[in-house]
Amino acid sequence: MFYRQAAIRHTSYDQTKKLYPIPFDKWLVVAVLLVALLAPFAMSGLYLNSYLLPWVIWSTAALSLNLLMGYAGQIHLGYAAVMAIGAYSSVHAMRLGAPFEFALILGGATAMIIGVGFGFTALRVKGLYLAISTLAVQYLVDWVLTHVPAIGGGTQATLQTPTPALLGFEITTDIGRYYLALGWCAVVTIFMLNVKRTGLGRALIAVREKDYAASVLGVNSYYYKLIAFAVSSFFGGVTGAILAFTFFGAVTPEQYSIDISIQILAMVVVGGLGSVLGSFFGAGFILLAPLFLNNMVTGLAEAYDFGVSRSVISHIPLILYGGLIMLFLLFEPLGLAKIYDNIRKYFLVWPFGFSRR
Amino acid sequence: MFKKQLLVLMSTVLLTFAGNVIAAKEPIKFGLTLDYTKAYVFATPSFGQAIEDYVKYVNMKGGIDGHPIELLNSDHGNEPQRGIEAYERKKREGAIAFEHLSTPVSKAVLPKAMNDKVVMMQMLTGRADAADGEVFPYIFPVSPTYWAMAANIIQYIADNVKDIKKAKVAFTYLDYPFGQEPIPIYKALSEELGFELKLFPISLPGTDQSGVWSNIRRFKPDYVISWSFAQLHNIAMTEMKRNRIPVDKYISVIWISKNDLKSYGFEKAKGVKRVEGVVTGTDSPIVQDILKTLYDAGKGSGPRENVGLLYYMAAFTEMVTVVEGMRLGLEKYGAPLTSEKLKMGLESLKDFDAKGLMAPITITPADHQGGGKTRIAEWDGSEWVPQSDWNAAYSDLVWRVIKEHSAKYKSGQ
Repeated sequence: MFYRQAAIRHTSYDQTKKLYPIPFDKWLVVAVLLVALLAPFAMSGLYLNSYLLPWVIWSTAALSLNLLMGYAGQIHLGYAAVMAIGAYSSVHAMRLGAPFEFALILGGATAMIIGVGFGFTALRVKGLYLAISTLAVQYLVDWVLTHVPAIGGGTQATLQTPTPALLGFEITTDIGRYYLALGWCAVVTIFMLNVKRTGLGRALIAVREKDYAASVLGVNSYYYKLIAFAVSSFFGGVTGAILAFTFFGAVTPEQYSIDISIQILAMVVVGGLGSVLGSFFGAGFILLAPLFLNNMVTGLAEAYDFGVSRSVISHIPLILYGGLIMLFLLFEPLGLAKIYDNIRKYFLVWPFGFSRR
Repeated sequence: MFKKQLLVLMSTVLLTFAGNVIAAKEPIKFGLTLDYTKAYVFATPSFGQAIEDYVKYVNMKGGIDGHPIELLNSDHGNEPQRGIEAYERKKREGAIAFEHLSTPVSKAVLPKAMNDKVVMMQMLTGRADAADGEVFPYIFPVSPTYWAMAANIIQYIADNVKDIKKAKVAFTYLDYPFGQEPIPIYKALSEELGFELKLFPISLPGTDQSGVWSNIRRFKPDYVISWSFAQLHNIAMTEMKRNRIPVDKYISVIWISKNDLKSYGFEKAKGVKRVEGVVTGTDSPIVQDILKTLYDAGKGSGPRENVGLLYYMAAFTEMVTVVEGMRLGLEKYGAPLTSEKLKMGLESLKDFDAKGLMAPITITPADHQGGGKTRIAEWDGSEWVPQSDWNAAYSDLVWRVIKEHSAKYKSGQ
C-alpha cells in the first residue's frame, strides 16, 4: 500500500541499478532532505546548534568511517585522530592565509597522507592486531598536539578558527554554518550511496569478505586497502575541519580524544556496518540519546523528589543508555539500520503480510 | 455572620497570596553543569554538594535581598559537545553565571560565554591567563591561578633551603595541559633565582610512576613539586617510600585532600605539604552554621563527612564569592540581575575573604585573580597545619606570563 510496486518493471540494467527503484523510497529521501533544509527556520538556536548541527557532522564522520569499516572491513580505533589532523592542518593553513576551500582540501589531504601511512600496517596485520596499531595513531596524534607548540599552540592554547568564507561569502550565522555542514554531509552521503555500485565499491566488499579470495579473483587487495584508508581519511580530515569551523569554533586536543574515536566506532556498529542510513541512526543514537535521557531524568528528578543524591541521578541516564544499546543489539545484531529495514520489509507487502510466509 | 467569615477567609487567602508574591522576587539562576559520571568523579560530588548547601543556606536566610538563588543542574560527562548543549540550554533558561568544573568543557564553552557575555566562574581551575580581565572580561578565576601557586611554592622553598642558588627542585607532573601549565613559571624562576630545575613528566593515566621516581632519586632534589591529583598522590608517596625519599620533601598542588591520604595512611603521610588557596576543616563560623542549620536538621545535600574537605571547601568558597558578587551587583545596579551586573558586582569585590575562608581578594576590571595569595600547609597526621601566612610571591613575573599568554589568546591562539 505504501510502497506501491505495481507497474515497476525493469527493462534494462541501468534501471535495475537505480538507487531507489520504488518511488516511495525516493520521495521519502526528498522529504527528509526538505526537512533538513527547512529545519533551521523552524527550530530555535538551542536545537539547531546543539542537536541538529552536531548530528549532521557526527553522521558525516560515521559515514566516512563506515567506508573503511563497513565496506572495506578494516577496523580503525583512532578515527578522531584522523579528524584532528584534518582540523589542525586546515586551521593552520587558513591562519597562514589560505582560502577556506583550499584549507579544507589541504586538511583532508594531510589526513589522507598520514592516514595512508598508518594504513600500510593494514597490509600486514588484520583484525584485533590492526585495531591496536590504529589505536597508536590516536596516541601519537594526542602526544604531538600536547607537546609540539608549533602544531598544538602550547599547553593551554585554544586555537580559534578563522571565519570560514565560501567562494568569497563569509559564513557568520548559525544557519550558514549548518548549511556548510549539511552540504559536506550531502557530498559524503552521495558518494557513499553510489560507491557500492562502482567497481571500487565491489572491490572493497570483496576485500572485506576475504582478502585472498579477492586476490584470486584478480582484485589487488593491498591496493584497495590503501585506497579505502586514503578515501576514508580524506573524508575524516575534512569532517574534522568542518567540526572545528562550524561547531566548536576552535580546536583543542580534547575535541578529538580517544573517547570520540570510540563513540564514532560505536555509531558505526550500533547503526549498522556498511549501511549509509545506519550511520545517521547510529550518530543520532550515540550522540543524542545521552542528551535526551539526561534531560529527561533531570526533569523527572526535579518534578518528583527521588530522595537520592545528584550523583546517583546523573548515573541513571548512563544505565538506561547502556541498556538501550544492549537491547538494540540483542533485538537486531545488524544494527539500527536493519531494524528500519525490517519495518520497511513489513510494510512493503502490508496488508498482505501472509503472502511472505 | 457567614458573610463576615467568608470575607475574613478571603482576605487571609488574598493576603497570603500577595505576601508570597512579595517574598518571592524573581530568582537568580546559576548554571551548575558538572561532570558527575566520568573523569572528575573524585571531586564533583562534594563540589556540587557544597554549592547546593550554600544556596540552600542563603535561600533559607531570605535569599539575596529577597531574590532566591536557583541552581540549574546538569551532568555533562566531561564531553565538550554535551557541555555546549548544557550551556546553551541553561542559558536559555536564564542562567546568568556558570560553573563547569571540567577542562574540556570550559575550553569549549569559553569562546561562547565570551561572545554571549555570560559570567563563567573558574575558581582554582581553568586557564591561568583568564586572570587578565581586560582580555577575558567574563571569566572569573577570583582565586590564585596555578601560576601564582607555582611561584608561591618556590618562595616557600627559597625560605626553607640554605641557599636557593644551590637548591635542586624536581617538578613532577601529569603530562597533559593541567600538569604542563606551570612549567613557564618554574623555568623563569629557575633562571632568575639560580636553582636547578628538572622536569619529570608522568604519562597518563599516571598509575605507573616507578620509572619517574627512580630518576628523581638519582637527581637528589631538595624538594619535589607535584602537579597531580587525588589517588595519584598515593602512588607517588608509595614510590617515594620505595626510593627512600622522605615524604616531607613532597609539595603538592592544591588538589590533595584528607580523603586522598586515607589509603596511604594518615600517620605515614606526616610531613606532606600542599599549597592552599582556601581554608579547609569545619572550624570556621560559617561552616559551623551550615552544619547546624542544614545537617543537624537533616537538610544537607550529601554526606556530612564531606563538609570541610578540600573539594567541598573550594566550591563553597566560590559560591560565597559569587553570592557576594550578586549582592553587590543588585545593590549597586538594581534588579533584575544580569550577567553584566554580576560581572560589575564581582569586579567591585574589595578585600573580600569569603567569611574567613580564603586570603582577602580585590577584583578589578583588569585583575580577575584578586591578589593570588596562597599558603603552604603541612599534614601533621590528622590536620593540615599552615606553615606560612597568606602570601603572593613574584607577582610581577606571574603577571608578565599572564599578559604574554592572554595576548596570545587575543591574537587568536
